[in-house]
Amino acid sequence: MPTIAPPRPLLVALLVAAAWAVVAPSAGLAAEAKKPGGKKARAAVPFRLPAAVRDAPDGASFAVAPIDRTARDDVRAAAARIDALLAERHARDGVVPPPSLSDSQFLRRAYLDLGGRIPTHDEASAFLASTDPDKRAALVDSLLESPDWVSRFYNVWADTLRLTERPQKNLWSEAYLDWVKRSIAANRPYDEWVHDMLTADGKLWENPAVGYQLRDQGMPLPYVDNTVRVFLGTQIGCAQCHNHPFDAWTQHQFYELAAFTAGTRSGTGGKPEKPVRKEMRKGARADTADATAKNVRALIAESRKRANQNGTKVNNAFTQFLQANGTVVNFRDRDLKLPHDYQYDDAKPEEGVAPHVLWGEVPQEARSLDGRAQFAAWVTSRDNPQFARTIANRMWKLCFGVGLVEPIDDFRPDNPPSHPELMDHLAAEMLRLDFDLREFFRIVVSTEAWQRRAIPYDPTTGEAFSFAAPSLRRQSAEQLWDSILTLVAHDPWAYERPTGEAFAAAVNLDLSRKNPGLDAAQAAFERYEDSQSPRKTRRQTMQTYGYKGQLLARASELPTPLPLGHFLRQFGQGDRETIDGNRTVATVPQILAMFNGPITHAMLERGSTVVDELAEHDPPQAVDVIFLSVLSRLPDEEDRQLALGEIRSAADRRTGCGNLIWALLNTREFLFIQ
Amino acid sequence: MNLSWLDSRLARRGAIARIARTALGVTAVDAFLAERPSGFAAEPLPSGTNIITLFMRGAMSHLDTFDPKPGREEQGETGVIQTKTPGIVFGESMKKLAGMSDRLAILRAVTTQTGAHEQGTYLMRTSYPQINSIRHPAFGAWALHAAGRHPGDLPGYVLVGNGNDHPGSGFLDPALSPVPVADPKAGLENTMRPAYLTEENFERRLSLAEKVDRDFKASYGGNQIEAYDRMYAEAVRLLGSVDLEAFDLSKEPESVRDRYGAGVVGKGCLLARRLVESGVRVVEVEVNGWDMHRDLFEELPTKASALDKALATLLDDLSDRGLLGTTLVVLATEFGRTPKINENAGRDHHPAVFSCVLAGAGVKGGVVHGASDERGHSPDSGAVSVADFNTTVAAAAGLPYEKEFHAPNGRPFKIGGGGTPVREVLA
Repeated sequence: MPTIAPPRPLLVALLVAAAWAVVAPSAGLAAEAKKPGGKKARAAVPFRLPAAVRDAPDGASFAVAPIDRTARDDVRAAAARIDALLAERHARDGVVPPPSLSDSQFLRRAYLDLGGRIPTHDEASAFLASTDPDKRAALVDSLLESPDWVSRFYNVWADTLRLTERPQKNLWSEAYLDWVKRSIAANRPYDEWVHDMLTADGKLWENPAVGYQLRDQGMPLPYVDNTVRVFLGTQIGCAQCHNHPFDAWTQHQFYELAAFTAGTRSGTGGKPEKPVRKEMRKGARADTADATAKNVRALIAESRKRANQNGTKVNNAFTQFLQANGTVVNFRDRDLKLPHDYQYDDAKPEEGVAPHVLWGEVPQEARSLDGRAQFAAWVTSRDNPQFARTIANRMWKLCFGVGLVEPIDDFRPDNPPSHPELMDHLAAEMLRLDFDLREFFRIVVSTEAWQRRAIPYDPTTGEAFSFAAPSLRRQSAEQLWDSILTLVAHDPWAYERPTGEAFAAAVNLDLSRKNPGLDAAQAAFERYEDSQSPRKTRRQTMQTYGYKGQLLARASELPTPLPLGHFLRQFGQGDRETIDGNRTVATVPQILAMFNGPITHAMLERGSTVVDELAEHDPPQAVDVIFLSVLSRLPDEEDRQLALGEIRSAADRRTGCGNLIWALLNTREFLFIQ
Repeated sequence: MNLSWLDSRLARRGAIARIARTALGVTAVDAFLAERPSGFAAEPLPSGTNIITLFMRGAMSHLDTFDPKPGREEQGETGVIQTKTPGIVFGESMKKLAGMSDRLAILRAVTTQTGAHEQGTYLMRTSYPQINSIRHPAFGAWALHAAGRHPGDLPGYVLVGNGNDHPGSGFLDPALSPVPVADPKAGLENTMRPAYLTEENFERRLSLAEKVDRDFKASYGGNQIEAYDRMYAEAVRLLGSVDLEAFDLSKEPESVRDRYGAGVVGKGCLLARRLVESGVRVVEVEVNGWDMHRDLFEELPTKASALDKALATLLDDLSDRGLLGTTLVVLATEFGRTPKINENAGRDHHPAVFSCVLAGAGVKGGVVHGASDERGHSPDSGAVSVADFNTTVAAAAGLPYEKEFHAPNGRPFKIGGGGTPVREVLA
């Protein structure tokens, strides 16, 4: 794998952090406050941050595709076209755009939207001190080729694609999750990437893209519903059961579309399905899958038999290991029948349905391929207008907080875009850029509109948004977690989720040819358990990277889905069952977590980034350090007096600084992206 | 008479009130110190009825629980059990509830339009279909809006569950949204200040935050900011409550915890009982895992037995404590499941007919209203829409279900969605 030098700000941070680690073994700000009685509080025995995250960072383990810096003029020109379209509309509607962002506001928004976190103290001071007239573009470029961007964009897709490690007990999806992350890092064109997911064959760790089809394993109708929602922005789900009185789609059309992919198989259980269509077409994988399934069934039967003989229980984890290794996605054309209670006149119950697309046609070059490949070609075709429009609208919403069409998965003639010219233009841009999502993002954040002060907007008022600037957004759960982590960990990338290769090497058992026998299979299972099984490795991971029960790693690297009570879930991270399940609604437990939760206190511990930085500075410099670290801006005169007053009147300097950090963290200014 | 408990209560309340006054700004303090904290209606209803809702998420199969079809192919492997009510059988897992069917009102012909979880859940919770241009309040928020919360520092509305997709207070005051408790076993987390943080420092911190934030708040208004201001005030108020122990299940004897059962539904019901006892008016318990597209006959017995045990114990417990007369208990789900068993031995989504159950305050027990057809596919008689069902709940709770309330955009709404209450199940 090619290694790429970290962008300059990262390098600076690395060197500076390394220096601090040597000179500033300071005490934490939380540790030594005294109880009123004069006795040292019990928490005076400091919890230590794990050494792994206090070390000088060596960055993420993966490479990110470089940005073409020579393209800046093109980016500017493309951004100007968007601004011109908006300006025309604003003139017509009498919209007066808000003022442009100050450098520090821009800095913070760029880091949060492109990097998924606030800048470090050093990153912030370097940017604010820079006199480079092109520094905003330079920052955008360096962020878009950093692991931070990959992490941020991965979180977005994890929510949309419902990424979880175990969609079902026998589906072990680690390699798929890693594949999504690496596809983002490599900046693969979106159409290609989606096409892979819709057509992939094989085992999860041979061809991780199969993870997409496996997400709805055994549910061929919801699979089609979800796929059309996510990639074509269209809701046909109601038509699964009945013709909807107000919708364009009939139940028959739903089944016609589902007929393309009805022949997707993957399971090891169940009865072998007989292809019923006359000219049967079957993928190369089908034979392998059949052989594998046979071996898995034999091994499971044998392990049951042995357990019976020994009077022991069957090891469920072992059975799942076998089933996971026996899950081979493959395809052979198969007819789909209408449901038994089909109630409309255009066809009879249980009649076979011929595949047919919802609009347009299957591209010429795909017509000789099998049904699933035809479906994938139609969905991702440049001639399918909904494919480009949907992703353009999704990306636009990510930048502005509101889509041109809302909800983003409900394009309909009677739900038109609020700004039709802009919608057309963005879809055309998506084609011009050959579905390079990162480049699209680069253009949108280079617009004047995106670089203006946010506008508070309540979508439930029913009023259209002006897009004169992004809407005022609360940080997403992931942005908030990663921002706090920035204040805590010198090395936020110390822990990363396992790579697909490492997971594959540990878990793969080839069952496609001969049956290796129960003993060999069990030995393979044990090797996996010891090296990669989350069950076995969790404790070690927490010992190395944990603080008070929290794994100190980027949100993208944490287990998924997280338990309901986790900070990220409290702040609205999706459950990975709902498409785009992220929310930013205020609740009381969020505030309690900000007041008293372990992660907010980690930043006040000895060895945290912000505490180490403070060790180098006396007030009033300390005040600047704290404001820059937490709010990415310098204090104004009033802030400074307030903060200095606080530090001077506190029991001691440490307590005062701790109070100030905590206070800034608990402002709306911190929580929202202005 | 020993009044020290009262003293400490007032002392703590006084300290927290002071914090709120100095640190949280004027609006928050108004809400906080007002005679009636925000969320109190002008005229609290005399009945003071509490509501506990158990929401079976994923769609609970009616055939395997409260509306079995013994002898039919559609019944699959689920056996039945005779209830105390003559001629009425339940699915075999509902053993304890079968023995107290005289306390239950079963609605067997609830019917809805949508077979999608998100939309179905939203409709059941708010009584209105999900549309983009408005956020409707959840039933609990309506109840507090109309009837007020009980006095004290505990929230008026608690949700056992994550609440990410919960409609919350909708277009009503954000303070009416439920306080989510993700894990009933852990209770409400992070209510203890770290040992090093003195009350004085806590106060200084809040006050400092408020001052630094002035410019930002002056520049950006809006509902979202306002909602966070409200939550900060609610959180501070809650931290000052001496009733926080209500969230702590470890305060219950082990024998009681055992009676409710170990899962989310058991712990959720026990927490609901403790909260209602301590003055929380509305508790909603989310129970996930009913979306049984495969292996239903393996998975359902465990799930249904846990529900049976928890709900039966809750009803017994409320009754023993004299709370059942003032507490309405609702068992609901977003839709039913197909009578036809699919190729994976599961049942799929089925909006045409399903069952819900009521008990307690305002409800007549031993009643079965409505019936599905012989296959459990469609309503045969006594069909009840979601709006009818929620209007019945509103009527049982003594809420003004006929009154029109206006959203900020001027549109009129009714608690329960403007349906017709089912008189037959009302006491």
